[in-house]
Amino acid sequence: MGNVTLEHVTKQYDDVTAVNDMNLDIQDGEFVCLVGPSGCGKSTTMETIAGLTLPTAGEITIAGKDVTKLPPKDRGIAMVFQNIALFPHMDVYDNVSFGLRLRDFETEEIDRRVERAADILQIGDLLDRQPSELSGGQRQRVAIGRAIVREPEAFLMDEPLANLDAKLRVHMRTELQRLHKELDTTIIYVTHDQAEAMTMSDRIAVLNNGQLQQIAPPLTCYNEPANRFVAGFIGSPSMNFIEGEVGHDGFESEFISVEFDPTAFDVSVGDAVTLGVRPEDVHLTGEAGSIAHPTDPVDTVTDVIEPMGNEIFVYLTHGSRERTTMDEEQRKGDQLLMSVDPDVELSEEEAVTVRFDRANLHLFDQQSGDARCHGLVSSHSTATSEQRTTAED
Amino acid sequence: MATEHKQSSGFPRPDYIIANKLEGLPEELYAYLLLVPAFFMVGAVALWPLVDTFTMSLHADALTGVSVGDFIGIQNYVDVLTGQRNAVLPGSFWYAVGLTVVFTVGSVTLETVVGLAQALVLDQEFRGRAWVRMAIILPWAVPVVVQGMMFYLLFEPSIGFLVAPLQELGLFSSTPLSNTQDSLILITLTDAWKTSAFMALIILAGMQSIDRSLYDVSKVAGATAWQRFKLITFPLVLPAVLVGMLFRTLGALKVYGVIEVLSGCRTVPSMTCLVISAFRSNRYGTSATLAFLTALIISAFILVYLVKFVDSLRGIGGSA
Amino acid sequence: MTTAQNTDAEDGGGPFTNWVKSAIENPGKVHRAMFYVALIFFMFTTLFPIYWLVVLSLTPNDLIVNMGPIPRGFNISVFVDMWQTVPLHQYMFNSFVIAITTTAYVLLVSSLAGYAFGRLEFRGKGGLLLLLLIISFFPPAAFILPLFKLFTGNVVLFGLHSPDLFNTVGAIIVPFSGLFLPLSVFILTTFYSQIPDGLEDAARVEGTTRIGALFRVIMPLSAPGLSTAGILTFIAVYNEFFFSFLMTTGQPENGAPLVWGILAFQSQYTSLYNYMAAASLIGILPVALIVVVAQEKIVSGLTAGAVKE
Repeated sequence: MGNVTLEHVTKQYDDVTAVNDMNLDIQDGEFVCLVGPSGCGKSTTMETIAGLTLPTAGEITIAGKDVTKLPPKDRGIAMVFQNIALFPHMDVYDNVSFGLRLRDFETEEIDRRVERAADILQIGDLLDRQPSELSGGQRQRVAIGRAIVREPEAFLMDEPLANLDAKLRVHMRTELQRLHKELDTTIIYVTHDQAEAMTMSDRIAVLNNGQLQQIAPPLTCYNEPANRFVAGFIGSPSMNFIEGEVGHDGFESEFISVEFDPTAFDVSVGDAVTLGVRPEDVHLTGEAGSIAHPTDPVDTVTDVIEPMGNEIFVYLTHGSRERTTMDEEQRKGDQLLMSVDPDVELSEEEAVTVRFDRANLHLFDQQSGDARCHGLVSSHSTATSEQRTTAED
Repeated sequence: MATEHKQSSGFPRPDYIIANKLEGLPEELYAYLLLVPAFFMVGAVALWPLVDTFTMSLHADALTGVSVGDFIGIQNYVDVLTGQRNAVLPGSFWYAVGLTVVFTVGSVTLETVVGLAQALVLDQEFRGRAWVRMAIILPWAVPVVVQGMMFYLLFEPSIGFLVAPLQELGLFSSTPLSNTQDSLILITLTDAWKTSAFMALIILAGMQSIDRSLYDVSKVAGATAWQRFKLITFPLVLPAVLVGMLFRTLGALKVYGVIEVLSGCRTVPSMTCLVISAFRSNRYGTSATLAFLTALIISAFILVYLVKFVDSLRGIGGSA
Repeated sequence: MTTAQNTDAEDGGGPFTNWVKSAIENPGKVHRAMFYVALIFFMFTTLFPIYWLVVLSLTPNDLIVNMGPIPRGFNISVFVDMWQTVPLHQYMFNSFVIAITTTAYVLLVSSLAGYAFGRLEFRGKGGLLLLLLIISFFPPAAFILPLFKLFTGNVVLFGLHSPDLFNTVGAIIVPFSGLFLPLSVFILTTFYSQIPDGLEDAARVEGTTRIGALFRVIMPLSAPGLSTAGILTFIAVYNEFFFSFLMTTGQPENGAPLVWGILAFQSQYTSLYNYMAAASLIGILPVALIVVVAQEKIVSGLTAGAVKE
């Protein structure tokens, strides 16, 4: 069984901890993406699984076997590299069969496996070419072919699509998913592209500063991010964050207030928290009827408007403030990004009121960044709404 | 699913077994292990001999067999440096140092000037440049013994046509190969003939790494060819020239073979010549003393190299 | 020398003033003329000694007296007769054995060291590399006495006498294997460090050991570096004088290389000048061929160290 586990894996370089107490439990046949910004430790984690780097502490098992101290060749894994790493001095057939020949497989068996891989990847007519004669996409297929003929316990893929152009990358994504279905083998996939991680994987492991932030199915990471980092990293454009504190009537900040009953949630009055709201959960008051639990309106002024075709990104600023008196920092902190339908007509510096979808609001602890609660919908919501009406008077 | 080791035939190769055994070693230990063969060789033929030469230099000459006599401390050094061993040597130590230094200064200077000129020629675009470069490199590849033989055949008075006119001009004696001054000049010339190609190649590489647009800029600014050389080429190739000069100095201080072939160690007793003649007369203590003194003098120049270039080495070598 | 002339000219006044004036008026032409003068001068000086060997070898020996620069005859048979006087082929065979063995050994050992220096991280890397470099600068005279003791069986270690290699090719190969190592280590360190990490990683994941990756991937891809290091080592060994001369008593059956073959003419047949010239030409032939075939490699190898600065 090709399950892969990491227990308390730590990799310490002279003055940097590249991976810090990493725990992962990846099931046989699962497609897991390690995702995070550059320098987050995802590649080092991959290298420790491959055996290209030995961890400073911790244990790694592959298919139930402790491989922590084994060299890469004895781990039963195959790997696809970002720079593709085809051997320039061998033709495609020799590249693909390299690992099999090293293991003294019989010629017929090698031919059979190479043929099968070539069929799956449609590279049958390239077998006698040199790597330098191939296009980027063809090279990537050959590199994948070299991995699959080995029939490994697990595939490790380190940003294999990063060097391809955008169109080919999207195409190869679906190919890889098809391949995963066909081979039914564990795939551990490193990428810095959260969209790639979202579309391909069974589970996403989000890493930052060498630490695992969250490992969960893509939609869980999206809807219930474990902390502010995950919330900001998953989803594009990024979630809006508004810093404030919990008052008796709910979340309060200079810009925005959201009423709720603090006692109904895992927060207490006086807590410094960050409110998180995704751009698509910011609605113009006019269309807010379509959401089940809208918040009360917030007055804003439109700033920059970016039409994307299928949607429009609208940057909103604090309605009551004179924009010109604010410096860059203030403006950024008070900015709110909204995504609206492409048919909505808005112009710059137009006063608009917006509401949020309560069901998709998140509160994070300002200190630790950990999520405090997801969705500010409770049985008291109607009551708080009434209270607010009174206050407005 | 598992595809592990499908050995087709009986015994695995022993080198594979060793390689597999070593695979588990940490990187640092592995690196040291890979360096063992290299440092074992270098230790055996250079480091140990250097130390042993010093030990031998503290013992008296035994004059029989391959050995030294009693421990006498620094007596050999005192005798050699004060000239009390001159009787058993082709020349005094200081005389040898003087000759060797004159040869070194002369040949390195000549090589640098000729090398620079050759590099300037090779830096031009012209048809047949590859052939000219080949002709210039050829002397570098000539064995020392042939190099000596060539100049022997050129300046042996009975055959060559060069000696007579040079003698008439008063530049050479009638037998230049047994006259110390004439031989020294000839040895300097033959060394320059053989190794100026080395300087030329180093300087040429330096020239060709210069950004060509600098020349275009200066041309536009109205600089003459000479100004371009003085203001751009020369300062930018100077570091390469200095490295080349230092390499050549270290080489020239060891001069021996060409002397042996051309005019003999009696005529031009260089430092190495003294070591060898003492060695051949079984004076191992004296020979070791001379060898160690020669090494010390060369070390002084190596020190210059270290001080000047250790920083740039750090670039290659990583953490020191 | 050009330097001196031009400095004078800039100071004005000197006899070069007119020359400089015409140069300024017509710089391109003068420049080109100077270039051709220099070119012809260098071609003449570098090639004349070799031409002289041709002149002497083609002239029958009884006519070699007060020679001019033209051959007096066309005595090609010297290249046949010569071998009967001194068995030069045996000396050259020894030279080849020594050069090829040393080169093979040096490439193997310096590949391991070059891999460590170029691709692995360890403490003391810079210091060890520097040590190798310094050793290659020391004079062979500082090593000859102990090595002579060693190869004549006069060094006793743990009650065992050292092997008696004196008067065999071994006594020449062993010192060369150590002394010509540093150059190759430097060249290969540079080449091996430039192979992308990904290729080595790929080889190791596919099933090689680190050493396996060195032999199967890194060395094949560094073929230009290996051939550069190999050619430079071969030429250096073939051309060497010091140990080649001192580690044997000079008979071809005692492992004596080319040095002794050439010197045999000079010492035993003191007036056979045409044979000396012909033997010298034969001695140059192998290295001359290498220069013709591998000029680029020699250039890159010789300049690799110095241009890096």
